[in-house]
Amino acid sequence: MSPAGREVTITIDGREVPAVEGEMLHDAARKGDVEIPYFCYEPKLGEPVGACRMCLVEIEGIPKLQTSCSTPVREGMVVHTRTEQVKEAQNSVVEFLLVNHPLDCPVCDKGGECPLQDISYGWGPGRSRVIDEKRHFEKPIELSPLVAIDRERCILCYRCVRFSQEVAEDSQLQLIERGDRTYVGTFDDRPYVAPFHGNITDICPVGALTSYTYRFRARPWDIEHAGSVCTLCPSQCNVSFTIRDEKVKRVVTRDNHDVDDGWLCDRGRYGFEMFDAPERVRGPLLKGGVEVGWDEALEKISEGLRAVSGARRGWSSPDNSGEGPGRTTPASPGVALIVGDASNEEGFLLQKLMREGLGSPHIDSRPSRGPEVAVLRRLAAPAISAKVSEIDEADAILVLGTDPLHSSPILDLRVRKAIRRHGAKLVVATERPTALDGGAEAIARYAPGQAAHFVSELAAAIGGSENVATPIAETLRDAAKVVVIWGERIARQAGAAEALLAVAEATSMATTDGAGLLEIPDTTNARGLREAGCLPDAGPGLSDTPAGMSTEEIRAALISGEIQSLILFGADPLRDFPDTPAWEEALTAADFVVSFSMHENATTAKSDVVLPLETHAEKDGTVTHPDGRLQRVRPSATRPENVLPNIIVLSELASALGLDTSIDSQPRAFAALTEAVPFYAGITDSDIGGRGIRWQETSSATNAPKASTGTPSERFAEEEGSSPEAPAVPPSDDEVPSEEGVPVLALGTYRDLWAGPITELNPPLKFLTPHQRIEISPSDAQRLDLKNGEAVRVSQNGNSIDAAVLIKERIAPGTAFLAEGVTGANANALLNGGPVQVKIEKVSA
Amino acid sequence: MSPVDGAGMSNPNLPVDPAVRDGRIPDRTEEQIPELHEVDCPPELQERIETLMGRYPDRKSASIPALWAVQELYGWCTPEGIRQAAAVMRVTPAYLESVASFYDLLHTKPVGTHRIEVCTNISCWMRGGDRLLDAFEAAAEGDDAEFFVTGFECLGACDIAPMASIDQRYYGPLEAAEAGVAIEQLRAGDEVLPEKALARRGLAGDS
Amino acid sequence: MAHELEKRVLLEHAEDPALRTLDGYRRLAGGYATMERAYREMEQDEVLSELENSGLRGRGGAGFSMGKKASFLPRGEMAKYLCCNADESEPGAFKDRELMQRNPHQLIEGIAIAALAADAGHAFIFIRGEYDEQADILDAAVAEAYEAGYLGTNILGCHRDLELVVHRGAGAYICGEETALLDALEGKRGNPRLKPPFPAVQGLYGGPTLINNVETLSNVPHIVRHGAEWFKGFGTEQSPGTKVVSISGGVRRPGNYEIELGIPTRDLIFGLAGGPEEGHEIKAFFPGGSSSPVLTAEEGLDLPYSFEAMAEAGSMLGSGSIIVADDRVSIPHLALRTARFYHHESCGKCVPCREGTNWTVKMLERMVRGEATPMDLDIVSSVQANIIGHCLCVLGDSMAMPVGAMVRKYREEFEAVMADPELTLDPHAVVRGAPETLGAST
Ligand SMILES: Cc1cc2nc3c(=O)[nH]c(=O)nc-3n(C[C@H](O)[C@H](O)[C@H](O)COP(=O)(O)O)c2cc1C
Ligand code: SF4
Ligand code: FES
Repeated sequence: MSPAGREVTITIDGREVPAVEGEMLHDAARKGDVEIPYFCYEPKLGEPVGACRMCLVEIEGIPKLQTSCSTPVREGMVVHTRTEQVKEAQNSVVEFLLVNHPLDCPVCDKGGECPLQDISYGWGPGRSRVIDEKRHFEKPIELSPLVAIDRERCILCYRCVRFSQEVAEDSQLQLIERGDRTYVGTFDDRPYVAPFHGNITDICPVGALTSYTYRFRARPWDIEHAGSVCTLCPSQCNVSFTIRDEKVKRVVTRDNHDVDDGWLCDRGRYGFEMFDAPERVRGPLLKGGVEVGWDEALEKISEGLRAVSGARRGWSSPDNSGEGPGRTTPASPGVALIVGDASNEEGFLLQKLMREGLGSPHIDSRPSRGPEVAVLRRLAAPAISAKVSEIDEADAILVLGTDPLHSSPILDLRVRKAIRRHGAKLVVATERPTALDGGAEAIARYAPGQAAHFVSELAAAIGGSENVATPIAETLRDAAKVVVIWGERIARQAGAAEALLAVAEATSMATTDGAGLLEIPDTTNARGLREAGCLPDAGPGLSDTPAGMSTEEIRAALISGEIQSLILFGADPLRDFPDTPAWEEALTAADFVVSFSMHENATTAKSDVVLPLETHAEKDGTVTHPDGRLQRVRPSATRPENVLPNIIVLSELASALGLDTSIDSQPRAFAALTEAVPFYAGITDSDIGGRGIRWQETSSATNAPKASTGTPSERFAEEEGSSPEAPAVPPSDDEVPSEEGVPVLALGTYRDLWAGPITELNPPLKFLTPHQRIEISPSDAQRLDLKNGEAVRVSQNGNSIDAAVLIKERIAPGTAFLAEGVTGANANALLNGGPVQVKIEKVSA
Repeated sequence: MSPVDGAGMSNPNLPVDPAVRDGRIPDRTEEQIPELHEVDCPPELQERIETLMGRYPDRKSASIPALWAVQELYGWCTPEGIRQAAAVMRVTPAYLESVASFYDLLHTKPVGTHRIEVCTNISCWMRGGDRLLDAFEAAAEGDDAEFFVTGFECLGACDIAPMASIDQRYYGPLEAAEAGVAIEQLRAGDEVLPEKALARRGLAGDS
Repeated sequence: MAHELEKRVLLEHAEDPALRTLDGYRRLAGGYATMERAYREMEQDEVLSELENSGLRGRGGAGFSMGKKASFLPRGEMAKYLCCNADESEPGAFKDRELMQRNPHQLIEGIAIAALAADAGHAFIFIRGEYDEQADILDAAVAEAYEAGYLGTNILGCHRDLELVVHRGAGAYICGEETALLDALEGKRGNPRLKPPFPAVQGLYGGPTLINNVETLSNVPHIVRHGAEWFKGFGTEQSPGTKVVSISGGVRRPGNYEIELGIPTRDLIFGLAGGPEEGHEIKAFFPGGSSSPVLTAEEGLDLPYSFEAMAEAGSMLGSGSIIVADDRVSIPHLALRTARFYHHESCGKCVPCREGTNWTVKMLERMVRGEATPMDLDIVSSVQANIIGHCLCVLGDSMAMPVGAMVRKYREEFEAVMADPELTLDPHAVVRGAPETLGAST
């Protein structure tokens, strides 16, 4: 916002203060330790509004007092903040505010942490001369199922409505009526439901907006604040837990410009309420939910696992294998590991336990499959990796194969900010319409499953050839700093990642500061787990190892019997992985399944032993942000007493399997990790501190994984053949394929922000539990004679789920979309690894 | 107003929000702006708003005219009407309601067919504006469907004080007795107080 | 036949309904000839300097030099705008209504010429929603002007374009404030903006914008036609030209009268408006609309009616609207009416205005109910002082100045009413004596 101004000097209350030309006087004063009271000013909310008038100051040469929040600094400005004139203004503004503000501080949730309270003491007249009736509103009422509004307390500072307008851009929260009748409200008094709305409770300077999940739960003087990281999605926002009686009572932002920019999504803010769900696994369990002690549980596990791994011989152990990466060695041990949600340390210990303890290479941390390690190494090159804060300054942003709102919500806000404040040009290339489409210069909708083809077309188009991707390519070509935000799932398709590297090459990312790729992975700590060695063909630091099977191959091997036992750590295949029927079969076929899980679910029900996991408020460890930032998750709340620290459990399990890791604490685990991962080398806990540190910005960056062979373009040339030939654009209206008369649509799926335990096991968020909807275009709706909300059965050779019709204008004809992870109607049931066509039929109720 | 006063205070976890039951909660996180096919907007209204948007460098400038159009069609700015306008203009209904509620002539609550605004500001007040308002209220008593009578700030016709604006036309100076006459004429569909219409007046200086 | 105290320039031929039509305007007033000359023969700077030299001061309230303001607009290729402020909502003001109703083409021609001076390609007339009849008249006139080629693209074959849109407001006095007008025109709530940036630099849609009042713009054709010198031949040195003055309240012939600025105020109120009702005296008057501090008869009647004289007397000419209070008017009640208006119209954005107007009304209501103490009078005064200079725009000041003046000048009367509310005989808390006895206005 403030122009890249030159250094100037201004005088405040007789003291010289350094400042940047063009920055707001209020900010300059703050930096110079001059406190000016204020209510409405909040740079995070965009341009100042100058509404509250609390920040008035005297500026020599200007007769009227000026609002310091909206006055840009000029060289030589002489400012007074303590004169009689200013004091009178401050007194009167406070007095005016109290004309209508109730004096119910003793029963107000904000009491003790209320700016109005503090400023009234510090800058008010001491006593109010108001004896007249204050304005009345029904109070408090529901602004949303999560937020209560007390309109009598509102001082109309505009903060919350500016958040809705300028940050979330949902434009749902508005000022209604005029003058002192004005109140904060919504259309037709409907609830304010939007994925970021909880933030307004943080920015309200009075007790007008409060969270139902926190109301009357605690007072500022009987709580503690504990800084940690939210691991409910890959954004890994920095949070501060409000702790009372060793339990989490509230989650607020810990404003980290490099990660979250000071905002939280409601998932992260209210997710903690599921920690105590009845479904929480509170100790070791055997099949059928039989509670057992830890010793017995570990005993059972080592027996079960040794049985299978012992049954095999002749597998190549990492130390005596010279083969490097290749296909699976003929006789492989019968145990596999799939990691979902885990810390770096946990991932490191798990792969160590597998490779060294059980001698099995079958390790994966991806829901189905992904690029081979050679490609991953090139993707990890610091030169082409963007950091979150670089979105702010990007000239062009490509959102590719993902909808940040669902997959990494906080980045949705970040992209909006870049467009609004910096004029970044946005282009979107996805199967399904995204929440960001509205701000896009160009939008490309490719057919589900055609990402790889589209991205290769894009690379070519940037190079100059005319094709479907040209409109997108033009914007990218004209921009200097290009940031590509891409969804990991496109890389499930052969050739997609290579094509992406070609795009990076074509936009010369490697040589442009502030340009780069930013991945949105499918799981919360995907990057950390890959770098810790949880990959079938790579060990810690993406190093070469004998190759094992990918998640998909593991599933097949379980069915074929080639693998007999499975360790699941924070993974729920029956909800989260494609092809649910096959997973059902695989888990049934398996001789022995161990599940580490936070909650009981369909998968744990099919497991022989279930071990509890810590929540992100309980665990101690590090995670790695998709942009390479190592962050520390710190234990803030106490675990249920029969839940042990995961690190201890893993080291005990290892020794039970005859592997002495001598790693029994987070510090040791972290030390071992940084030792094993060359580009983490030397990074200490204090380097990470409260803000985290990107390994690309440490001296160890020089140890970044090297691309094994060839330049991206050459490699891409080889790969080109592998990119699918199918058309990159969805079939147009008239040529929609059909199966025996019934038209079929190409199915795309997405992971809904609210699908899963986050809503189902979380009372305050329950109302957001998604119902399955089949999203189709108006023209297909007409062709199939379907109405909004109509109940239909969606089927794909034999498998089917029920859904309600949702017609959306921006859906490409010929395509249809379902949400993954929805209980009872999970889109994963229809997926089978390849492109899928579905039939939609009305269910006659 | 939203659900019951203090809802959630007894149980901060709100197992089921009443709003969920009566389906008022949008469960599509992305969509804040209704799509046209969801609001079945009368074609003439859609056309009119689209033309209006075309007259301005920025389509949002058409919001007040669009709300006027909604009010003309439905008698007031109904939630349905606002949603229809919002869908055509590609803005949120909340935005349009916020705008509508700022202005005195746009009504976000039902009003009678005939709108009578009686000026009670300084010059009219000095000449009996309050009495005139009482007289109109008495005459229209009990017929809220037909008549909406309200006191109003200066209408910019102090030269014909005390005056009133009846269905957007000015009349004055009015005797309290003429209120009843006007109401009857409106009921009968006759021309209202012809001799008191502002349009008929000459320049003050020419008398 | 106009009174000899009148000097009709803007209102010339206004009595003839035919003036409303394009033909009538051409025939009676030689309409659009000046615009044609300006478009065909004059450079932007020539027009600008005529306007600047004429010393024409804004007729909307602030009285700022029109030519100077127009010259503030940056030159260059960017889109520039012109807005005609026809919101006229200040109590006592109804001159713009008359000008638009009787001579819409004069305004359109003024806008066309001003657009040339400002190099604006897009113009808007923001007319208050209540002026529906006048808006219809303007719509018709604008249509005629497009038809005749005075508006639109390649006007008069001079390769200049001008789009003119009549934009109806919807009832909010604040939209008369120039930056609130811009927000309203952009389709938002009519909240004033922070200044700087000023509209001339960054206004409508972020582009340079010239905003002028209806009467100001109606003067433009005459100035360009007869020249700055001719214009300065009327009025005083600092208040050149004629002014359409709205007179209302306790006078026999309320209405609009066009006079040379600087004539004695007495001539306006007595000579033209006929003075107070039979058997009554003038007690006080607002010289420039309800926002101007009231002047007592003694203070004000013999002042020249000019910007400078009113300013010296501690009040202002404002929009040039005189509201007369005769000896029957209870000043505390007048103060309450005034305060109520600003309270009702405050946009609510900034605290001192929103809460100050609300608090003032509450205190004044207590006073006229006899539920106040003299201490409250001091509080009312200090609250007015606390509003002035602390608000986002001057709406707050617009209440604080007149109310403050009333309390200062009529303290005894306030104390008397507080002591004995019965003093206001009228149950409607209006005027003492029966209002019906005030004569009809013609
Ligand atoms: C609260 C407020 C209301 C105003 N109302 C009007 C109005 O109704 N008409 C008008 O021309 N100017 C009005 N003004 C003055 C305008 O802000 C602006 O100064 C004027 O339109 C400029 O035009 P001018 O220079 O030709 O007078 C108002 C100002 C304020 C602060
Ligand atoms: S609710 Fe709070 S944040 Fe919103 S306007 Fe009122 S005081 Fe400000
Ligand atoms: S902080 Fe400056 S006006 Fe509110």
